[in-house]
Amino acid sequence: MNNERQHIDDHVVEQLSGYVDGELTQQQQQRVDVHCASCAECAKDLHELQELRESIGNARLSNKNQDEWREMMNDTTVQTTRGIGWLLFIGGALVCLGIGVFVFLFASSVSLVEKLVVSAIYGGLALLFYSVLRQRLIERKTDKYKDVEI
Amino acid sequence: MNINEIKHELVTLGGGAHALASNMLGNPDDASDAVQDAFTTVLGKPLAYDAQKGPLKPWFLRIVRNRCLDLLRRRRPAGMPVDELTDKGATPEQAAELDDRDRELKLALATITNEQRQIVILRDHLDLPYAEIAIVLDIAPGTVMSRLHRARLALREVLKSYE
Repeated sequence: MNNERQHIDDHVVEQLSGYVDGELTQQQQQRVDVHCASCAECAKDLHELQELRESIGNARLSNKNQDEWREMMNDTTVQTTRGIGWLLFIGGALVCLGIGVFVFLFASSVSLVEKLVVSAIYGGLALLFYSVLRQRLIERKTDKYKDVEI
Repeated sequence: MNINEIKHELVTLGGGAHALASNMLGNPDDASDAVQDAFTTVLGKPLAYDAQKGPLKPWFLRIVRNRCLDLLRRRRPAGMPVDELTDKGATPEQAAELDDRDRELKLALATITNEQRQIVILRDHLDLPYAEIAIVLDIAPGTVMSRLHRARLALREVLKSYE
């Protein structure tokens, strides 16, 4: 950092971006204007930031046009099949579970003690699963470090 | 805002949302899936959007971003390979059509952190005001300017290293 720059605080340097974006108050803009008039390095930074902003603004960062999005949005197949898929899966699983429980409890020759033991094991597993799932859902909503990159 | 108005606005937001998702996920196909999921979410529950709370654009982009974060969390990448930023579905002719500057920008964007990429895309490509960027990124509005400035400086340094 050269001597010229040592005279300004970091806040003004950060405001160069705010200036480029038109997010400063009139007073702040004037402060940047005055500073850049006497600081060639900041004036250069300001110019480069403006160029960078323009380049990114004009860059083609997506390979799809509006027609493709319209088509994708109006394609109801995805929504319909997804809904039906989940419905069939959950419905089928519940029916299988119901039949399994009924056969085990009422239509099998397993003794009452064995039924109670097996029921306790599966009941315990279900409760543990519910407990972990609930905890994960709560964490997911409140985890303030979720965006931290590792 | 009725469903047709929402659809009309979403079509115009698709490209920008895809740019954001592509730069977060590093893969245009995954990005398309993320945007389509976001479309499905919004159109499945159009009443969830309350126009009185703010414009649709940041609300929708936040949904896209959250979807991308979900995908990233499942993937747990060590880093985004630069190669993945190029469209694998593009033919050599299509790839050649990409402007050199755009290609450089994509490579440079892949080099800075994901957080920096997001804020630069939201401001410089999607032209969101600082207040809306804060909504999308779920950060304090007062921190947008400094984060954006650091991100731009990082991007500029990478671009300078290509020269």
